[in-house]
Amino acid sequence: MERTRAILVDITKCIGCRSCEQACKQVHGFPMDSEAKLSATALTVIEEHNGKFVRKMCMHCQDPACVSACLVGALKKSSAGPVTYNAAKCMGCRYCIVACPFSVPRYEWTKLVPYVKKCDMCAARQASGQQPACVEACPTGASTVGWRDDILEEAERRILAGGYVKRIYGSEEVGGTSVFFISDVPFEDLGFVVAPKQPMPMLTANALGDVPTVVLVGGSLLSGIYWITQRRQAVAVAEGRSASARPNDKERS
Amino acid sequence: MTRIMPKITLWRTIVALIFAAGLYATYARFALGFAKATNLTDPQPWGLWVGMGTLCGVGLSAGGFAIAAAVYLLGFERYRPVLRASVLVSFLGYSTVIAGMMYELGLPWRIWHPMVFWNRASMLFEISWCVMLYSTVLALEFSPALVEKIPWVRLRTFYLKWHHEILIALVMIGVVLSSLHQSFLGGLYLLTRGKLDPLWYSPYLPTLFYLSAIPAGLAVTIMAMYLSIRSLNVKVDPAILSELSRVIAPMLALYGMFRLVDLSKNGAFHSLWTWREETLSFGLEIALFIIAPLVLLSMEKVRNNPQSLYWTCALVVAGFMANRLNVSITGLQASSGVYYVPKWTEFAPTLMVLTIAVLAFRYAVIYLDILPKKETKMPSRLRWTVNSAAAEA
Repeated sequence: MERTRAILVDITKCIGCRSCEQACKQVHGFPMDSEAKLSATALTVIEEHNGKFVRKMCMHCQDPACVSACLVGALKKSSAGPVTYNAAKCMGCRYCIVACPFSVPRYEWTKLVPYVKKCDMCAARQASGQQPACVEACPTGASTVGWRDDILEEAERRILAGGYVKRIYGSEEVGGTSVFFISDVPFEDLGFVVAPKQPMPMLTANALGDVPTVVLVGGSLLSGIYWITQRRQAVAVAEGRSASARPNDKERS
Repeated sequence: MTRIMPKITLWRTIVALIFAAGLYATYARFALGFAKATNLTDPQPWGLWVGMGTLCGVGLSAGGFAIAAAVYLLGFERYRPVLRASVLVSFLGYSTVIAGMMYELGLPWRIWHPMVFWNRASMLFEISWCVMLYSTVLALEFSPALVEKIPWVRLRTFYLKWHHEILIALVMIGVVLSSLHQSFLGGLYLLTRGKLDPLWYSPYLPTLFYLSAIPAGLAVTIMAMYLSIRSLNVKVDPAILSELSRVIAPMLALYGMFRLVDLSKNGAFHSLWTWREETLSFGLEIALFIIAPLVLLSMEKVRNNPQSLYWTCALVVAGFMANRLNVSITGLQASSGVYYVPKWTEFAPTLMVLTIAVLAFRYAVIYLDILPKKETKMPSRLRWTVNSAAAEA
């Protein structure tokens, strides 16, 4: 597989300065007021949990629920890592918001032509060799960006050095993400969701895989039933038993 | 004297009020936007329009495919008198779903996008195609009722002959499409694992949705027939209705057993011992959809009395709606952290669209040959026999 980009958020290093929030709002041209929760004009926010600063943003899953949910394929996992959104395809069904295990995507509820808003890891900036705006703005190095395997290695290195909970949030969640968190307090105390371990699209893949079977088996079964019904009626007619109240065909003309 | 003004009656007033409210809500939705017209938020992005409009609308329209399959494929000729009416109910049901979609979608003018932009991995993609195709199938299944009113004999005979040739194929396609999307509506919620309350989340949600849709769809058919008999010039043997109700009970029992086994397998029972709003909603759903109808339908007195049968079916429908709203709203409340109560401007369009469908059904029964009519004048009855033969063709 191609090397993909990933972000590491080291919760022990975050001082809650909100530079990432501001930088994000700036590159997107959003109003600059700080917001408490993710919104259509705040694609990353710093939340405070038990005295710790926790950054919220799209997790950029390796096998994203939103991408499998989107019926028109507006959401895509790009080969470079970010999960991107093509507004031109979106029809506003909002199934991505329902499907996201981390409850990240936001909708422009106040607009008359509303779109979905979510972090795209500054895919365009990264494609031109720049860092995501939030990472570039971080003064303490709490957020870093790099190749996914390097980033995972770095996270492990820091955990082994001591002072951290022995867990990288995002390495196992929903089959792996591209945004990782390491922390010195358990993630359960920081408002992190307990996500299923397997990739979310697997939950629907089985049922969807049944479609050809249902069509083939169902079709032949129905044909078989129809044949039996016809045959029984023919036999009934031949034996002189009237085959129930079937309206007379000769009346039609 | 007052010929120009239609007579003001209670029902006309109610319909007028529904339309006034619906039209204002339509204005609110499209001119003011979601934030003004709905209580939808990011934690609760799907509300009444999906829970009621889509999930209930599609589910309650399952009667058409079930009765078409019974008559054409299984050869249950005794249901033929209600066949056309049940296909019409389903067709109107799907029409309300599509009309409701125009409110629900953020960008409704892009409703055709799934035809062009494909994602085979999406449940919703499969559903959108099934609904598109099945609505077409229903329209074709119903079309003879309109075509036979065309005064040009040759066109009429040509169409009916062609229709006769494809009819069985249409019915089979309809059964397959219905089976797929009725279950896939439940499949939508497979992705809410970890969010949807264990009282409703199950890997077998597709099966549960399928098993519950058929009895609910049949209950709607019975209700529509009963109302037609009562208020329109229609002659249907009530025995057909009580016979249909005999099918509902075992289906509900099967669904109930499946639900029970599924709940115990998912270890969801322990959460019934803690008192939560979810427990109440769950109890209501099970009582309305399974327990009460099973008890009532086991009594011959209820089955053979059209009126009590009607109210029993109303219970089934209410219980079915409770289930769909629980899956789409109640069950997601705790994890979403918001308490969603729909705004009145969310109810109003749903109610208006439903009213239009009911009126359409009424006028179809009056002006077309949907159900056998009482003999007011000889020709009308004669026409029915001829036409039903043509329709059956």
